[in-house]
Amino acid sequence: MGSENVIVIDGQEFFFSAGETILQVAQRNGFDIPTLCYLKGASPTGACRICVVELEGSQNLVASCATPAAPGMVVRTETPRVINSRRTSLEVLLASGQHNCLAQDLSMDSWTDFQVKSMAAKGHDDLCPAYGECRLQDLAVQYQVKTNHFTPADVSYPIEDVNPFIVRDFSRCILCGRCVQACNEIQVNNAISFDYRGSKSKIVTEGDLPLKDSICVFCGECVQACPVGALIPKKDLLLERSSNETRKIRTTCSYCGVGCQLYLHVRNNKVVKVTGVEDVGPNFGSLCVKGRFGYDFINDPERLKIPLIKENGKFREASWDEALNLIAEKLTRIKKESGPDSIMVLSSARITNEENYLAQKFARAVIGTNNIDHCARL
Amino acid sequence: MENLVFSTWGNWKDSPGPAQTDNLPAQFGQGKPLRAFMGWDGMFVRDASVNIVDMTREYAAQAANQSCGHCSPCRECTYRMKEILERICEGQGAEDDLDMLEYMARYVMDSSYCDIGLTSPRPILDAIEHGRDDFLRAIQEKKPIPRGNYVAKVTAPCINACPSHLDIPGYVEKIHLGRWDEALEIIRQDCCLPGTIGRVCVRPCEFNCRRGLMDEPIAIKALKRFAADQELIRGVEPGFSTTETKEDKVAIIGAGPAGLACAYHLGIKGYKTTIFEALPEPGGMAKSGIPDYRLPPDILNYEVSLVEKAGAEIRYGVNVGKDITIEDLTEKGYKAVFVGVGAPEASSMRCEGEDAGYERFMTGIDFLREIAFGRRPIEGKKIAVIGGGNVAMDCVRCALRIGFDDVNLIYRRTEAEMPADPVEIEEAKEEGIKFNFLVQPIKILAENGKVSGLECLKMELGEPDDSGRRRPVPIEGSNFIIECDAMVPAIGQVVVVDRVVPEGTELTRRKTLVVDKITFQSSQPNVFGGGDCITGPATLIGALAAGKNAARFIARYLETGECRPEDTDWMEKTISDLGVYDKEETMPFVGQTRRPRQAALDPSVRIKSFKEVESGFSRADAFKEASRCLRCYRIGLAAV
Repeated sequence: MGSENVIVIDGQEFFFSAGETILQVAQRNGFDIPTLCYLKGASPTGACRICVVELEGSQNLVASCATPAAPGMVVRTETPRVINSRRTSLEVLLASGQHNCLAQDLSMDSWTDFQVKSMAAKGHDDLCPAYGECRLQDLAVQYQVKTNHFTPADVSYPIEDVNPFIVRDFSRCILCGRCVQACNEIQVNNAISFDYRGSKSKIVTEGDLPLKDSICVFCGECVQACPVGALIPKKDLLLERSSNETRKIRTTCSYCGVGCQLYLHVRNNKVVKVTGVEDVGPNFGSLCVKGRFGYDFINDPERLKIPLIKENGKFREASWDEALNLIAEKLTRIKKESGPDSIMVLSSARITNEENYLAQKFARAVIGTNNIDHCARL
Repeated sequence: MENLVFSTWGNWKDSPGPAQTDNLPAQFGQGKPLRAFMGWDGMFVRDASVNIVDMTREYAAQAANQSCGHCSPCRECTYRMKEILERICEGQGAEDDLDMLEYMARYVMDSSYCDIGLTSPRPILDAIEHGRDDFLRAIQEKKPIPRGNYVAKVTAPCINACPSHLDIPGYVEKIHLGRWDEALEIIRQDCCLPGTIGRVCVRPCEFNCRRGLMDEPIAIKALKRFAADQELIRGVEPGFSTTETKEDKVAIIGAGPAGLACAYHLGIKGYKTTIFEALPEPGGMAKSGIPDYRLPPDILNYEVSLVEKAGAEIRYGVNVGKDITIEDLTEKGYKAVFVGVGAPEASSMRCEGEDAGYERFMTGIDFLREIAFGRRPIEGKKIAVIGGGNVAMDCVRCALRIGFDDVNLIYRRTEAEMPADPVEIEEAKEEGIKFNFLVQPIKILAENGKVSGLECLKMELGEPDDSGRRRPVPIEGSNFIIECDAMVPAIGQVVVVDRVVPEGTELTRRKTLVVDKITFQSSQPNVFGGGDCITGPATLIGALAAGKNAARFIARYLETGECRPEDTDWMEKTISDLGVYDKEETMPFVGQTRRPRQAALDPSVRIKSFKEVESGFSRADAFKEASRCLRCYRIGLAAV
């Protein structure tokens, strides 16, 4: 093979292009190497060690996500040594915090104590909010992890819920660093990073302050990236657990003209959560604070659903035809009495480019004024 | 083999062989035996009375302490291993503790990301294997084990190679995390001129970087410069943690790198210092010996201003030895004196005519100094610079920038033997310098008292000399003449410390100041020295290291009246003796990543001015480059 760009994975030869990692080559060719900390679009950190593989000539296992393929590499992805390492990594991660879901396969006597202790913490009286959507739980089931090797660590961080959007629960953080990658490399807000050392490690803002006192803009990229129950949308916690199925409906965000693709999570005909659609443009899963958390207006009783006309200081409901006729009549009269420059059009960032174009056309061609502006200029 | 109970040292290397039993250090400091050692390549025990269980507890505690916490095996298991060993040593060990220890040690060693996890479990496994009975007894007897006396040290191949032992993986990681100010804080603990060193260091660290065995070494120098530049670019005010102010004053002779470092580190400890400098500007050889296109003056001046902020007062134009003596300074109340006067004068070429006082003849060091102070030193069109070191490189490149059309370097060996930095040689070639190899000048020719040419001999390479380089041998009768109208010999510098120190102070045959290798104290208890004046012309980072270490021992001398190396100093030596970098190591694969290049001005543009040639890394490049670091931290623990 020599200098040819070929590597051997589980006995088969594959070509690779310069810069590709072992993981990328393997995934492209249908190998199922599990990942946990790997975040698409960010540089690999190799932190969680779930994607380890055996590499001929190396004394230790290597993280396939962080090791670039090199000519002549011989890789094995599913040997007993690899499986054992992955399983142990999952065990130590489960034992590192209050992962009191059923994936924690403790012996009966210590299980009850662990549950009681874990649920005593404020905000822990219910099941973990990530239950069923937890990557760690999935992998623990897949690898049939037995956690009775390791005594669960005694971690008790108070839950941070002093902002309206994001709940941080460090007792369930596995320090995979995906949130840090999401914040620093995807959104480039640089609000959080690793700090402290060893078993005291923690994801912190500058000065280890609550998110609300940091430069965090609450885009929620970290929440979407969190594979466990450490970062949870606050509204999730307030939800009643319900057996009604949640449906995911794909739509386009209505906040501005970018056209971000998102999923509305709908339960009982109510939006209960919003997530970004991964892998499609323009946003590739990213959202802003409005798109992700600003959905309460949809079910708000105060929401304006039909036109209102104010008469004698009081609003009354009206039909669209009646309302539009009234506006047309009044605008025509004002234009006639006071001239077109007495009217101004203010358009909105919530409509598309094309609609904004029409709004200025309306101002200039129909009304006859240059008094046109846009809320995003403010 | 003497006194060796057992050794596993070295049998963890790639090609497993018998453990090393010879040439292992036996002494820890003066008259103190090294009883046992645990580290990255195994362990060895010389004294059977060392309690191996207790020593393993201490080692595991160090490993847990050093775990950075980023990868899960090391983060989650090093502290659990420490807890088990604590328990055993407290007399509360359980039956299955040893199995669990071995299981975790193997898992951490197999699955971790960096060398803390990959190497720290090795001696723990060795200890269990060779001392299993001791561990079992400790578990069964259930008696607390008293703590022994140990010295621990964290190192890495790059850290060990650096004279000032900067925590290189530490600051590289901070750069990777985007915490530039914290990176700079780490750098400043051991190096007070980061922007300067980040531009001109000879970087022994990079030649001892394990990444280099894989593809290319980490661009450590450029990353340091990046961290330093970010502070200036963003206008961040560097923080000082000078908590207390001390009464005693210290005099420092020479505002070069050694003196500045000594002043800075004394300042951090709360001591006020006065620096006496003969020239009108600070920086010593960093100012007068390094041209502006490699080190812009504003960078050096900024870093000197921080030394002043830390508590140094600089008095310019004072020539100690002539205007004032060290005895006078002692009388004026300076309790200690640090001598950092460098090697400021050119050595003789032993070539006929060099002392004739010809016009347009000037030594390299004077030539550079004149240019550094903004003057054109000599007139002419065609210049010959003699020498093969970095000063010669600086001279030729400066000559081009001050208007010489035809610049010739004359060196008596070949390019392979040149001591100059290969980057410098490359850049000089790009700029159009003419290299004349295997040429030895024998006579300077002159007309009307002005240099007119150089009579030379052709050379050939013979047997290797003391320096390991092949010795140049003249070819009989090969005399020829190189015409030129200006000449600069740059073949070395000499030390003048004998003019500064009090009579009777011990000097070497080469007239360098004799000081203790660790404490930097001279034969006069209150006089310390460091930098080129103790070593002969050497590196900037070596001078910074000397200044930093001398500051620590000066403080100790002032506080206790004594000045002896500490355990950590002996540990540093033990680790160096064992060797941290193994250039024979085979890496599991050939890496595929290259370090980014710093942007450089085009040769045709840069020879027109003294504008800095290289610009630093972009943030994206710095991030990417920092991510290539393998974090080869190693932990050593000595029982003493």
